[in-house]
Amino acid sequence: MTPIMRTIHWMNAICMVVAVATGLYIGYPYYQTLIADPAVNKYVMAWNRWAHFIVAIIFDVTAILIGYLYLFSNFEKPYKKILPTKKNFIEFCEVFFNLITFNRRKKFDSSHSDSYNIMFFTLFHVLLVFMLLTGLQLYVHGLASGHSSIGDWWPWVLHLSTDWTLSVFGGNMGVRIAHHTTMYLLIMWVMSHIYYQIWRTIFWQEGDIAIVFSGYKFARDRKKDK
Amino acid sequence: MVDSQDMVKKVFTQKSARIDTNKGENYYNNLFEKAKQRLSTLKKQAPLKDIDMVDVIETEGINRRDFMKWVSGTTATLMLPPMFEPLVAEATELMNRVPVVWIELQDCAGNSEALLRSASPTVDDLLFDVLSLEFHETLQAAAGHDADRQLEDAVEHFKGQYLLFVEGAIPMANNGMYGTIGASGETFHEHLMRMSKDAAAVIAVGTCATFGGIPAAAPNPTGAVGVMDLVKGKPLINIPACPANPANMVGVILHYILTGQVPELDSLLRPKFAFGYRIHDNCERRAHFDAGEFVEEFGDDGAKNNWCLYKVGCKGPMTFNNCSIIRYNEGTNWPVGVGRGCIGCSEPDFWDKYAYQRPMAGANIKAPTGGVEKTVDEFGLGLLTATAVGIGVHAVASAVAGKKSEHNEEE
Repeated sequence: MTPIMRTIHWMNAICMVVAVATGLYIGYPYYQTLIADPAVNKYVMAWNRWAHFIVAIIFDVTAILIGYLYLFSNFEKPYKKILPTKKNFIEFCEVFFNLITFNRRKKFDSSHSDSYNIMFFTLFHVLLVFMLLTGLQLYVHGLASGHSSIGDWWPWVLHLSTDWTLSVFGGNMGVRIAHHTTMYLLIMWVMSHIYYQIWRTIFWQEGDIAIVFSGYKFARDRKKDK
Repeated sequence: MVDSQDMVKKVFTQKSARIDTNKGENYYNNLFEKAKQRLSTLKKQAPLKDIDMVDVIETEGINRRDFMKWVSGTTATLMLPPMFEPLVAEATELMNRVPVVWIELQDCAGNSEALLRSASPTVDDLLFDVLSLEFHETLQAAAGHDADRQLEDAVEHFKGQYLLFVEGAIPMANNGMYGTIGASGETFHEHLMRMSKDAAAVIAVGTCATFGGIPAAAPNPTGAVGVMDLVKGKPLINIPACPANPANMVGVILHYILTGQVPELDSLLRPKFAFGYRIHDNCERRAHFDAGEFVEEFGDDGAKNNWCLYKVGCKGPMTFNNCSIIRYNEGTNWPVGVGRGCIGCSEPDFWDKYAYQRPMAGANIKAPTGGVEKTVDEFGLGLLTATAVGIGVHAVASAVAGKKSEHNEEE
């Protein structure tokens, strides 16, 4: 992983933790301020919403960046790994077999990201983009006047890009439910992701977990070993 | 370039909730002239009821000053500049020139009740004395065949001129046999289609008439739908809420009398002057929302201190309506004011999706598969548990299998 990719990875990870914590609060304020200050001095919900929106904007930007690298990266272009070619299909199946046979069968090159990994990487970003679009629709819901502090173009862009979610999910409440439900899919994804990376580290014995810290892992040269 | 940009912008924002409260001097000057002309034509018409608004106001003990206060309030509600005030006053006096037919279908008559309790001009003025209400089952004296005849007369006499107010949903299941009228056995659906055919405009009043409301709540046994699902090719205005606010009904009539056209509508055909903003944006408890001060339980200290009702299920942040501004019952109060949350009664599917006493995250929402009631969070937690169990099983199996494989390698 290049330094940029690693930066994006950790930024996304932190953003996700913040987004989930604040998102849960916004949906159901689970803690409450009991400070005897006037309401105007506290702004607990306002701070939660602020944090939620800020990390959402960071997500927006990294999503664009990743979308760009996905297609035009000099290092490796992820989209090439999910093209429906025979080679990719076989690789995807092999990694999957590796996983379900508990590493008894490993017939693929593990020195770079494989089709299986990239498929899940892609799925994550599809979910993320979905979160962004539904989230922005919920956000523009509050800009009913059509004005914003940075100009009328902003709500206009939001309406243009997210109004379709209203018809797909049957109104604002449907969008809200979809946004909320997808959070669970994302948490599920993260759980599986962390597990898989640790699993690989243990069973492949190639130091996989180091990729996201140092950028590299070592792949055992099986021929040399033997 | 600019032209095409404007065009694209127009295409994509036509149906958004955007409200333009200042459309520029030209627009208002043109509208002013148009309204003036329209009022002078209306004035020449013979009144349908020979009653003078000014007289009524005086006999009711409302002085001119109070009336003008109401006029300026109404002008502002309609999002018109103050120069329209004299015209609004004049339009109010000409209310007896526009015939209104009110039909009631599958509902509880709550909107009629609300109209009866309309603020100034008080209902008696508005309804019985000034407004030319040609037909209203609940309010009129006629019954049975007389009532039928009265309706036929009104439709025949005011063909293409009357405003048709529809209250209540339309049951479509079982060929509409869940709701029929009188001896003729005409279904509500047939009745609505017949009445709307000759109307100048159709105004669906209340959430039942607009989006199906409570009759259309799951499982919707009568197959209830709103007017907008059936009536096509007519100017149609939705005034949802349960009940619809009489101020908004009066506003729509006044706007029609003033300009001869329907007010600007949002994507759900609701007049923007009334449904352009979320009630949350003008809520008196808003500061407590931002501060994280919530009522946890009805009757607790938070409730006594008028804290935010979001955690006991207020749907204000998702609901478009002007009740936080104009309120109900002559502006006395509104749901949030009396300490219970908004249930989003002016939104589509409100009974299924909004009207529970918990915020979204704690709500029982019908799963899309129907039948089983499951909350999103229970579902999510289940999903995460399943994932964790799956991971656990895989991890244990890997550990066992892994040992074997190393054992094999050693061999």
